[in-house]
Amino acid sequence: MNKSIKKIISMALLAMLVLGTSACGSGASKEFSPKYKADTEYKLSVVGTYSNFESLESAFERFYVHYPNGEIEYTYLDDYRNTIVPALAGQEPPDIYVVQSWMSGNEQFDPLFEGAEVLSDPSLKINLDCIRPGLKWEMDNGEILTLPVFATSYGMLINMDIFEKEGLKVPTNFGELKETCEKLKSAGYESPVMGSNTTTTPGIGHVFAYPMLAKAVKDDRSIENDLNNLVPSAGEVMRAPLTRLKELVDSGCIDIDKCTAEIENDYDAVILRFFEGDVPMMLCSGDVVSGTKKRESKSEAFTENPFKYDFFVAPSGDDGGYYMDSVSIMFSVNKNSANLDMANEFIRFLTSEEELGLMAEKKRLITPTKDYSLDQVYASLSGFPEDRTVNFRDTEILDPAVKEFRAAADAVINGKMTVDEAVANYGKFTAK
Amino acid sequence: MKKRDIIIINIVIVGLILFFIVKYANDRATESDRASIASFEKMTTTTAQIIANYLEDEQHLCDIWANYINGSAEAGTPMTIEAAISYIRKAKISPEIQGHLIFIDDGSMKGISTTPSTTDLTDYSVNYSHIDIFDNIEISNVNGVVSLTRAYTNPLNGVQSIAFLNNVKILDNETDALRDGLIIRVVPVSRLEQKLVFLKGEYENVEISLIDMDGDYMIHGKSLKNSNFFEYFRSYNPMSPQEYNKVVETILSSEGSMHIRNSRNEDSVIAFTPLSGVDSWFLVAYIPAKELTMNRSIDWILLGIVSLGLMALLHFNLILLLSFNRRLSVAAKEANQANEAKSYFLSTMSHDIRTPMNAIIGMNEMILRDSRDEKILMYSESIKAAGNTLLRIINDILDFSKIEAGKMEIINVDYSFVSLLNDLVNMVQRKADEKGLTFELDVDENIPGVMYGDEIRIKQVITNILSNAVKYTKEGSVTFSVSATKCEDKPDYVTLHISVKDTGIGIKKEDIDKLFVAFERIEEKRNRNIEGTGLGMAIAQSFLDMMGSKLQVESEYGKGSVFSFDLEQKVVKWEPVGEFDAAFKRYISERKLYRVQFTAPKARILVVDDTEVNLKVFVSLLGETKMQIETADSGDACIALFKRNPYDVIFLDHMMPDKDGIETIKEMKECTDTPNQKTPVICLTANAVSGMREMYINAGFDDYLTKPIDTGKLESVLLKYLPTNLVEKAENDTEEEKNQQAPERSILVVVDDVEFLRKVREWLTDQYNVVVVKSGQQALAYLKKHEAELILMDSGLQEQDGLDKTKLIRDNFKDMSQDEITSQVNKFFGEGC
Repeated sequence: MNKSIKKIISMALLAMLVLGTSACGSGASKEFSPKYKADTEYKLSVVGTYSNFESLESAFERFYVHYPNGEIEYTYLDDYRNTIVPALAGQEPPDIYVVQSWMSGNEQFDPLFEGAEVLSDPSLKINLDCIRPGLKWEMDNGEILTLPVFATSYGMLINMDIFEKEGLKVPTNFGELKETCEKLKSAGYESPVMGSNTTTTPGIGHVFAYPMLAKAVKDDRSIENDLNNLVPSAGEVMRAPLTRLKELVDSGCIDIDKCTAEIENDYDAVILRFFEGDVPMMLCSGDVVSGTKKRESKSEAFTENPFKYDFFVAPSGDDGGYYMDSVSIMFSVNKNSANLDMANEFIRFLTSEEELGLMAEKKRLITPTKDYSLDQVYASLSGFPEDRTVNFRDTEILDPAVKEFRAAADAVINGKMTVDEAVANYGKFTAK
Repeated sequence: MKKRDIIIINIVIVGLILFFIVKYANDRATESDRASIASFEKMTTTTAQIIANYLEDEQHLCDIWANYINGSAEAGTPMTIEAAISYIRKAKISPEIQGHLIFIDDGSMKGISTTPSTTDLTDYSVNYSHIDIFDNIEISNVNGVVSLTRAYTNPLNGVQSIAFLNNVKILDNETDALRDGLIIRVVPVSRLEQKLVFLKGEYENVEISLIDMDGDYMIHGKSLKNSNFFEYFRSYNPMSPQEYNKVVETILSSEGSMHIRNSRNEDSVIAFTPLSGVDSWFLVAYIPAKELTMNRSIDWILLGIVSLGLMALLHFNLILLLSFNRRLSVAAKEANQANEAKSYFLSTMSHDIRTPMNAIIGMNEMILRDSRDEKILMYSESIKAAGNTLLRIINDILDFSKIEAGKMEIINVDYSFVSLLNDLVNMVQRKADEKGLTFELDVDENIPGVMYGDEIRIKQVITNILSNAVKYTKEGSVTFSVSATKCEDKPDYVTLHISVKDTGIGIKKEDIDKLFVAFERIEEKRNRNIEGTGLGMAIAQSFLDMMGSKLQVESEYGKGSVFSFDLEQKVVKWEPVGEFDAAFKRYISERKLYRVQFTAPKARILVVDDTEVNLKVFVSLLGETKMQIETADSGDACIALFKRNPYDVIFLDHMMPDKDGIETIKEMKECTDTPNQKTPVICLTANAVSGMREMYINAGFDDYLTKPIDTGKLESVLLKYLPTNLVEKAENDTEEEKNQQAPERSILVVVDDVEFLRKVREWLTDQYNVVVVKSGQQALAYLKKHEAELILMDSGLQEQDGLDKTKLIRDNFKDMSQDEITSQVNKFFGEGC
């Protein structure tokens, strides 16, 4: 090896080292350095919406390495929506609690934000820079009260083995999707795309078309108010996504009846049907993907014939799909916590690409950090074009509007309404 | 044993000890573990009982509330929901405990609480419609048993709680109808957990969980990740569905314990037991296995010290062993050097002693031939005997050295058995005669004539035995018997049976084994006058070992011994030897003094030796052959003569300064400018170490002759290599032939002085066949098989019956001179003066 090559390699390695050490935060070391003495005694409680939160419990174990004389307990609160606020005011208030984006703007949940520690307070030295900018939730006053723990999105699981076997590439726009479906159908796949025929978030309509709607709203925020207020005229913004949805069904890419018959719910059934191994593309949300890892062993079909699968954005647009970069859950620290220092210390520990990445990888949800590399399933999201990305703070479409859209989509794909009728009926679906 | 083997054995022994220690420790540990686990199971059962009692108590309190409310209803004064809650509010003592009363008949699951919401202190309403804790409970009829829910979130304060249930009848304010209500005694889980604090004293890391049939928790141990115990178990303990189902069934149907892996893949123990009196709840106590094993009663320190001690001992021994080995290695090196020095010494000794011995024996031979002075002849005989003994000793030592070094090889050749017998008998007959012993020969006439074997070594073995027999027999006889039988399994082989019987001193039984020990002589003190190194039998046995045989000894102390052995030999020619003993007897009766075998006045001989006296001996020994003998005292002088003069035979010494015999013959062979290109060159050397013959033949010599020179052998060699046209019959042949016309007269001399007998034989042998014996009995024994024309018996001996008095002369022979005796004999036979 001549000297110049050695020099280039050495420089590259040095550059990688420098970039690596400054990847999360300005020059901060990736290695967590405890702020308090290792023998500090503490007891923390974390409450949340997941009945099972093993990825967080794994993080506890890693935190114990630095602070072994303590205990952190995660508790699932029944009826979280109604119990978290009393819990914060109760005899056993949690130190850290889960916050979700839909709680914003609902006064019922104001105590969650009012009682939350300001994580962006420089004195806490929490490196929030490793979080993707679109997922950082700054309050009106610029304070950050929540730490995004998991992100989610909408798209489709691709059976990579089928694509490889049929010599196909994963479609990146709607035109390619139709062509791919044609080829798959001629190869014997009756419904190349499948999904859950429900009006829920992981349902076909929401997963395939909602990102398109969100993109439209992002591009024209002026209609957002009317949309949120369910003004019928605002339904026009649904036309393009509903039309594309209808086109998907009409083109034969997806057999709605088959989906209805074979996928009875929007979670387990979606995963287990996909694991049967004969579905090239399965529409679903990131939350559904999070359930795949555990269910691999529960599926006899997958156990016998495992295959490689990855998550991709559904290619609904002419130029490509739309990546909804949404927050799944966030943590806030109870500023009235009896163990506030250690609660903040735990959040400081958690706020790193490595820790959040490990948690996301274990939960198989999308990491909120800039580094997608820990979980290969989501690798396709890395470097997704910004102009077709919709971050959760880019729009403020409220729950009722979203429900109206899902109902409209459901009506269109099931042939209950034409696109025109669905558009015209905006604001009346949930009322029905 | 090699060092490596010793180390391995040490390690194996220490390993075995450690193995048994560890096994013992493990057995004890397993026992201890079992005891610990049994104790843990017992604790679990006790805890389950405490919890069950507590739950029953709580349920009982809930039942009291219900009974009171229902009692009112039964009394016809049903309580409204507010009144009921008001009652409960008064009845309950602990502020942590809440009472909720909800309507269940309309499925609303709504009602009021004894305590307001933490977020609105005026709001006592409670709603269970979103909390799925009643799924597995028939809430319309929960009487009679402890009815409680999984741990859930109290909707009013967000505290994890468990609920005890009972049915009540409540009056509806609006309709005045009796409605079905469910009274819920809400107890924080932390209150139950406080009841378990006592466990921390005994087991620091024990975690108690209460699970239902589905594995959902009422109390959740923090190490048990996952919201469901069975899910947790399955996640970290992979197994088949059948195995999993069996585990679930075991936990739900019995008391016991099992090892599981926790989320960190560490060995853990869970003990499980159903909660008695509480339907469908099970207690699971979790503890890291190491905490139970920490309680082991094994004295690890003691075991550790033993192990360390053994290891230290092993290392110490190994170090010691290595140290000894180093010393041994040095000693072995020194021994090797000494051995090499010994070999060098022996080689040198062989040469250096044999060289002067050549002169001594050669010159002595000349004296014996030329001198007529009795005294000088007597001295010369002594010199000859001593010289021969010395030569034999040297040969024995050389052979033994070679056997010891493992360098002795058996070299099989075709050999004539008659020739072998001849050599042996010649040797022993002479010795026996010298001692006045009768030598008997018994040879099977069917022994094959030519066999394949190591003639030299066989001869050496038998010579040693015969020599010993003669040496240790003062009077009587030595009988040499040889017979052969065909080998049944090997058609080309015969087994020779050879035995030597003597009437000698015999060997004590306890001394027989010493026979074969080198340098060991039996009864050293008694036999100190008998020459020997103590090597003869050891060498004989070694050779027999090498030839696949073994020397057998039978002996009776004071009466005699029989040495025998069997030897397998391949037969080359089956032609039998015939009547060897008869022929030998003839030979004995016909043997004569030395006479030159031939003359060759025209033959030219060159002899090369760096020792002048050796050259003189050589020339003297061959004087009567009248050959033209030239001498050279160095290799270079030899080569000069070799190039210049033609010779018929050349004798070349090996060990010479400057240019030795090997270098000289090499140069001679390369030389083309010589009249001696085809002249045979015989190696003449004092180096008699076994195996030398091959070496010399390979070096280019035509033959090999050892010093001291045996005149007979020398003449035989010359006869072999001299051109026949140069060889003439010796002049004394004519006289001999004349003598042969008149058969030699035989005389038996009976005198008890061996030395005198030897002299008499020398004096009379020229003219008569003389046989000497030491006693009258020996004389009679001899005369049984032989004839004697004259018997000379010393007057000092007792007269023996059976002797032919016509042939007997008795006189004081011991005091007579040669002339007096010769005169008497001649007179008897009517010869001479």
